[in-house]
Amino acid sequence: MAVSVLSNWAGEAPVAVFVAIGEGMRDRLERLFNDARFVRAASPRHAAIFLIAGRMRLEDREDLRRLHDQMPHPRVTLLWNAEVGEALGDAEVFTGSTLEVDIEASEAGRSDDAVRDRLEKLWQELASGERSSEPDLLHDEPPNSWEGIGPHGQGGQGMMGGTPYGRPMAMTSDDLRDGLALDLYTARFGPFLPMFPPGLLLEMTLQGDVIQSVKVVRPPLSQAGGNDVPAALLRLARLLDVLGLPVLGQRARLAAVGGATSVPLEKLSRAIHWAGATLAIPRGLGAVEGYGDTRTRFANLVSVANGFSPAMWPGLTRSAHLSSILPGLEWSEAMLVLNSFDDETLSTLAAIVEGADEDRDGHDHDSGHMHHDHGGPHDHDRHQGHGGRGSHLGNDYHGRHGGHA
Amino acid sequence: MGLTDLLFLALSAVAILSGWRVFATDSMVRASFLLLLSFVAVGLIIVMLAAPYIGVATVFMMAVEMMVMALFMVMFMMNPAGLNPMMMVHQHRFSIVAGVLAFAGLTAAILFTSFPKIPVDPSTPVVHDLGIELLGPSMLIFETAGVTLLATMIGSVILSSRSGRFGMADQGSRPPGLEPDGEPAGRQPEAGNGHHHHH
Amino acid sequence: MMELIAALLLLLFLSVGFAGAALVDGMLPAFLAGQSRPSWRRPIADAARLLQTQRIRTEAPDALLWFLAPVLYLALAIIGLAVIPFGPGLVTIPSEVGIVVWGSCEALTIVAVFMFGWSANAPLPLIGAYRYVAIALPAMLLSMFVLIGAALPAESLGFTEIVEAQRRVWNVVRQPAGLILFLMLGLAISLRGPFDYADPADLAGGTTADVSGPMVLAWKIARLTMLVSVSAVTATAFLGGYLGPLLPGFVWLLLKTALILVVLVGAGNFFARMPPARMMSVIWTMLLPLSFLMLLAVGVELLLWG
Repeated sequence: MAVSVLSNWAGEAPVAVFVAIGEGMRDRLERLFNDARFVRAASPRHAAIFLIAGRMRLEDREDLRRLHDQMPHPRVTLLWNAEVGEALGDAEVFTGSTLEVDIEASEAGRSDDAVRDRLEKLWQELASGERSSEPDLLHDEPPNSWEGIGPHGQGGQGMMGGTPYGRPMAMTSDDLRDGLALDLYTARFGPFLPMFPPGLLLEMTLQGDVIQSVKVVRPPLSQAGGNDVPAALLRLARLLDVLGLPVLGQRARLAAVGGATSVPLEKLSRAIHWAGATLAIPRGLGAVEGYGDTRTRFANLVSVANGFSPAMWPGLTRSAHLSSILPGLEWSEAMLVLNSFDDETLSTLAAIVEGADEDRDGHDHDSGHMHHDHGGPHDHDRHQGHGGRGSHLGNDYHGRHGGHA
Repeated sequence: MGLTDLLFLALSAVAILSGWRVFATDSMVRASFLLLLSFVAVGLIIVMLAAPYIGVATVFMMAVEMMVMALFMVMFMMNPAGLNPMMMVHQHRFSIVAGVLAFAGLTAAILFTSFPKIPVDPSTPVVHDLGIELLGPSMLIFETAGVTLLATMIGSVILSSRSGRFGMADQGSRPPGLEPDGEPAGRQPEAGNGHHHHH
Repeated sequence: MMELIAALLLLLFLSVGFAGAALVDGMLPAFLAGQSRPSWRRPIADAARLLQTQRIRTEAPDALLWFLAPVLYLALAIIGLAVIPFGPGLVTIPSEVGIVVWGSCEALTIVAVFMFGWSANAPLPLIGAYRYVAIALPAMLLSMFVLIGAALPAESLGFTEIVEAQRRVWNVVRQPAGLILFLMLGLAISLRGPFDYADPADLAGGTTADVSGPMVLAWKIARLTMLVSVSAVTATAFLGGYLGPLLPGFVWLLLKTALILVVLVGAGNFFARMPPARMMSVIWTMLLPLSFLMLLAVGVELLLWG
């Protein structure tokens, strides 16, 4: 009885969806969530429905499978125009139309409504127990055996170093900014982190939350978003979210759709001004030749909200690349920078650099690397049999052997 | 045995047990938090001894201190959650000797001290009296110690930071001359000392 | 006897305050985001959903600390509220060092948040956790100077005396900037908006990124309770606490707490969050000297006219 009361209430809850966005689907998905019935979960741990939208690369499938298993029960997957083969098992497929140029906007809107209805229906079935939760796709095993070397399993001699449990123990190294020798931590972040451009997979070495080096493993998936006003507003919304202003972000998204509930743009830009959003972005952050810094790019997007047309930037210089822009920034600064570029610029900045470039800055980046098996599941759980996933949102523990003097 | 005795025994047990676990755990962050637990128990015992300000202030100070300590542990050992277990004790022989000596000394001190048996009158304004003492007769001592500590902290941060007044420390920062275009003021760095290899 | 009544009142205050906080926190942002009629049922439905979701474990977490962190956070919120008087002599834990007890609750809250992020054994929660410590520690320092400024006119560290000393003039008149600084602490300690460095969007949920279901719910409950507590402390230290004409003191305190709570939820949605390093320099170089100045001003005022 009590359980069914709980289920009834749970069925009323907004549907928590974790989205993996494929090619050309981002702007459309952001419009999809302009609806109080849905929440876009920040992490698969918070979601009940895994929505995979758009075409995916072959190499992304493994990450999708891992993300699927990171979700708590009860869970269900919906594929929307996704081509992922059999990667997600027998997940439900929603065949709507992709947003092609020749399809009328109204038809796209109808299709969005159909997806919303389908998502809501799925959640109703899940909450009431009509639909059973999806089982794991991967085996729940540790990538490395749980055995350390040494008397305390620390894996090396003395207090530091070594690779216990197949994970390199962090070692101190000089910091880029102040020379304080703190621990390095290398991991892969992406490809479906909600604050990253979809598809972007970065291998970053962090010291605290300061980025020391960046390597693009997979570039972002191409998006249809042009340089028109709605696209600029959606970009502004993403920046506002990262700035801790989800309320204003939501308003910008509503304005991008231009529905009856949308607010006047002047009001939005006034709110952004009073929120101190521009002041919150440090001057000179993420400056790229010809593209200004993050603050000017943000101010430009705000002026779009004021009715000016989006600025056209000159071409990029050849040397500009994420691997030179991001190092030295803190995590949240880096997120601001990543979200401040338009799609075309970002894909240029995030082009894959050939291995030869790796030694350009003198980093012996790959020399001491642990290469884990990517195909395998990455974790296990000693207690519950499922759930525990060491790798987060598809990232992977990659550590550098320390101790290079 | 009244409630007060039971409470005292329980708090002492927590203080001692968590103090012991500090040396038995395999992660530095856990060790900091166990030490914090031990200090919190001691702080509450001090509150029971009718010294509320000192007791609560102990909890307050220790929470901040242990937090800062744990933070530094993570900075130097980013190894989240002690996934890689660590040996928390070293210099075994020396520490055993030091521990036994300290224990014997403190025990002797407790056994041979005659503690006063006069209970504090509940109406005594203990916090008020403590304030008068701290900011009256003992003010000079406390203020001197406080300002010295502050100056030491600021000084050590400035000395160890890379960005200095005259440029980056590892790029041979040199002060300007006493007259225009003159010799740099201050001590001259030895040759080859200024460039630290940085990658 | 008075303590027993106060304990019952504390329970009442907590339940009313918590329900109000959940409603305000659920509906105000939705309303500001442009929804015409946000539903009051949503927080309850959300809670029901989270209760029915599986609890997840990460690889090799510190299970004990992970479980204890929300418990500690909630307990600290309740202890902090317990030193607040609901009327003359109506305190659950009468303490002549009330503001130091509250200060300890603030400091231990930082420990609880750190524990929550650290014990997940995952990168994003860990980054959220230590980033939060770096910002919350100086914010807490600020709040203590501000509280000392509130204690000066009362010549006592106890909250009851602080309230009684405001019979002539509320502390908000004496140090208006102090109230604003203390509200910033309120945002920091309840993990909100511009001071939410623990669970922000740029870390995919930060310390909560790897928890699910009932644990998320427990964390939300603890956060909201702390929001109620910090609002009540603000109302007591700056807005005269239970003082007020006609209505009983308890109701006055509840009303003032509600006002502060709405202001905090609004501010949490209204102001942008700076990158941590920038916030750090703002706190240390601008806000901390400001709090010293406030303290000095109150001291001089009391010396000359007190």
